[in-house]
Amino acid sequence: MRIVVLGSSVYSETACAMAVRMAESGHVPVGALALRTLDRGTLLRKLGQWGVRGVARYARAKLIPHRSDGQPPVRNLYLEPELKHSGGVFRSLREVAAAYGFPILVCNDQNAPDSIAGLREWSPDLIIFTGGNILRKQLLEIPRLGVLNVHLGLLPEIRGMSSPEWSLLKHVPVGVTIHYMDAEIDTGPILQRYEFPDAARCESLSDLRNRLIAFGIEKVADVVSGLDRRTISATHQPDLDKDNQFFVMHEWLQARAAERLAKRRVATVPETVNG
Amino acid sequence: MNSGEDNAMTGQIAKALTEATGLLRGPQRVVPLIGKLVFDKLRIGFEQRHLYSYATTKRASGDVLNSLLRWILDAQRPDGGIAAYYSLLTGYSESYPEVTGYIIPTLYDFARAPGDDRVVAAAERATGWLLSLQMPTGAFSGGLQGSEAQPSVFNTGQILQGLVRAHMETNRAEILEAAVAAGNWLVKMQQENGSWLGPGAYQAVAHTYYSMVAWALAELSEVVADHHHGHNDNDNGVDYGLAAEKNLDWVLSHFRPSGWVDGINLRGHPDYLHFIAYVLQGVLECAILRRRSDAVEAVAKSAWALLRKFETNKYLPGAYEPDFKGGQRFTCVTGNAQMSCVWLRLFEVTDDLRYLNAGLKMNEMLKQLIPTGGPRGVAGGVSGSYPVWGCYQPLRYISWGCKFFADALLLEQRLTQSFEASTTEALPCAS
Repeated sequence: MRIVVLGSSVYSETACAMAVRMAESGHVPVGALALRTLDRGTLLRKLGQWGVRGVARYARAKLIPHRSDGQPPVRNLYLEPELKHSGGVFRSLREVAAAYGFPILVCNDQNAPDSIAGLREWSPDLIIFTGGNILRKQLLEIPRLGVLNVHLGLLPEIRGMSSPEWSLLKHVPVGVTIHYMDAEIDTGPILQRYEFPDAARCESLSDLRNRLIAFGIEKVADVVSGLDRRTISATHQPDLDKDNQFFVMHEWLQARAAERLAKRRVATVPETVNG
Repeated sequence: MNSGEDNAMTGQIAKALTEATGLLRGPQRVVPLIGKLVFDKLRIGFEQRHLYSYATTKRASGDVLNSLLRWILDAQRPDGGIAAYYSLLTGYSESYPEVTGYIIPTLYDFARAPGDDRVVAAAERATGWLLSLQMPTGAFSGGLQGSEAQPSVFNTGQILQGLVRAHMETNRAEILEAAVAAGNWLVKMQQENGSWLGPGAYQAVAHTYYSMVAWALAELSEVVADHHHGHNDNDNGVDYGLAAEKNLDWVLSHFRPSGWVDGINLRGHPDYLHFIAYVLQGVLECAILRRRSDAVEAVAKSAWALLRKFETNKYLPGAYEPDFKGGQRFTCVTGNAQMSCVWLRLFEVTDDLRYLNAGLKMNEMLKQLIPTGGPRGVAGGVSGSYPVWGCYQPLRYISWGCKFFADALLLEQRLTQSFEASTTEALPCAS
């Protein structure tokens, strides 16, 4: 299976972990395409997501690579098993590409003609999307099978953004869906849906999100194997006429979602008997 | 260009020149004007909107609500009416009967929340002034105080909202009599198809945003029904509820499958978001009162189309072409606040949290635009447009903008409190 990984940045831990996971499961990517980190749009997007302090912390972690034990820090600790290697921790897709011997392209726009030409040259069977631009038809049509996405919610119930948080508020099971992408948002054919069994163990919304990302990467490996063995096929989503799209959640509602998560934790922690 | 358009343009130029000379009469306004122009220019330069973010502010909704109410109280003129606007060029306008009327419910809602005697007194003064303006026919005139003597359907409807609420709060018989007289005149002027046109209508043509009048009639119908033990017609057999629904049906026939509503019909003006939101607010509130789920669904479809645009672009343009195409680059701040009201009310009716989410985010965006300082008339005010030189009410802070944003924040307070209360009730017993 010829696989290409798409990342939102060369420093994307999710893209690095995905590429490592694919390589370790016998599908070394034929290439990776990542957005330029210092691209204005990416920088502004990260500023919006993490704030100035978050971006400064992230930049420091990436540019000053050693923590007290000599290891570079990992933002999502649940990805450490994939990112750790004998010489330390993979900090960028460039390091992963060098370790596993596949080429990497860095671009300002994944839909740009140069990016499309590069992807076509790799003639992939499958592209795995871990972040970046909204993909246009021209790119979506390149791989033989399709462009695969890990959505952090169960489709078709929860489409769009802040999916784990909306799942909690809407009383929909938390989980991930692995699906092919199409021109709309999260409406492509579904390959597999997985409910996440450890939601009640999560300490916060960001903890839940980090665990779901790691869970999703683990499940992608299963799906790719299934596609390779032709034991998995995609099914079109039902209820496409229903508008199940959700948008970035306001912080007041996020706080309510966090309360629901905490309630689950309380409900599942076994009572301890003192004395 | 025909002679009508020529006259309109000449009128607009004359109006602009008159406004500009206002600075000569009030040179103290030069500094706030330049300050605001520079501030908006800089803000636009630094603004970055993208899919993964939304505008946030550290200002608490309660603080902004207080500053909006302070602005409204400051705008109350000695006659008891509320000024239409504070112009950065000419200062406060004359009292505006229409806004004075429909600001009354906002004042009472605010007074209900933290309990402020000054606000109740302001509402009572406003009501008293309006009662003094009513024509023998029951109608109220259009325009600013003293500007025209022509009875106006829309303004009478908007004032009727205030009278109905004032009666509910005070139980004073003369207020109900005035409301009934206004309602009777509106029903008398209504066309067979449910619309209003002719001399009482703006530019003498029918407008779908007169759904706000239907809302007022539906409210009057409820009050009259209370007085007549469930019969919603008055002693003369006028059925206000039926009249409201007649207009509702006429407006609903103008909804397109895309959610766009035809028939705003303002010659010489684009379809400002303010008027689109008026249509939706009027239909929604009338539908809720008359228990018309078909109308709620129609509004939800339009409101959803605008919600998607807001979520993607982080603001709603000030004016649209049909089918919500070609949004203009400025923002009609009032229209955005009205849409927040529509979304929050739709959340209340449908329980769809996405409407609450959009309303909360819209309020965040709007809170950023309220000046924390500046002279009276500026501090706490809502500009017609953002940037302030945008096409809708340029260089003005407008009282109806404060009204609708205050309504949105009051709704936010009420709904978030009841949401939290319902979540707490759902908790398992701690003992």
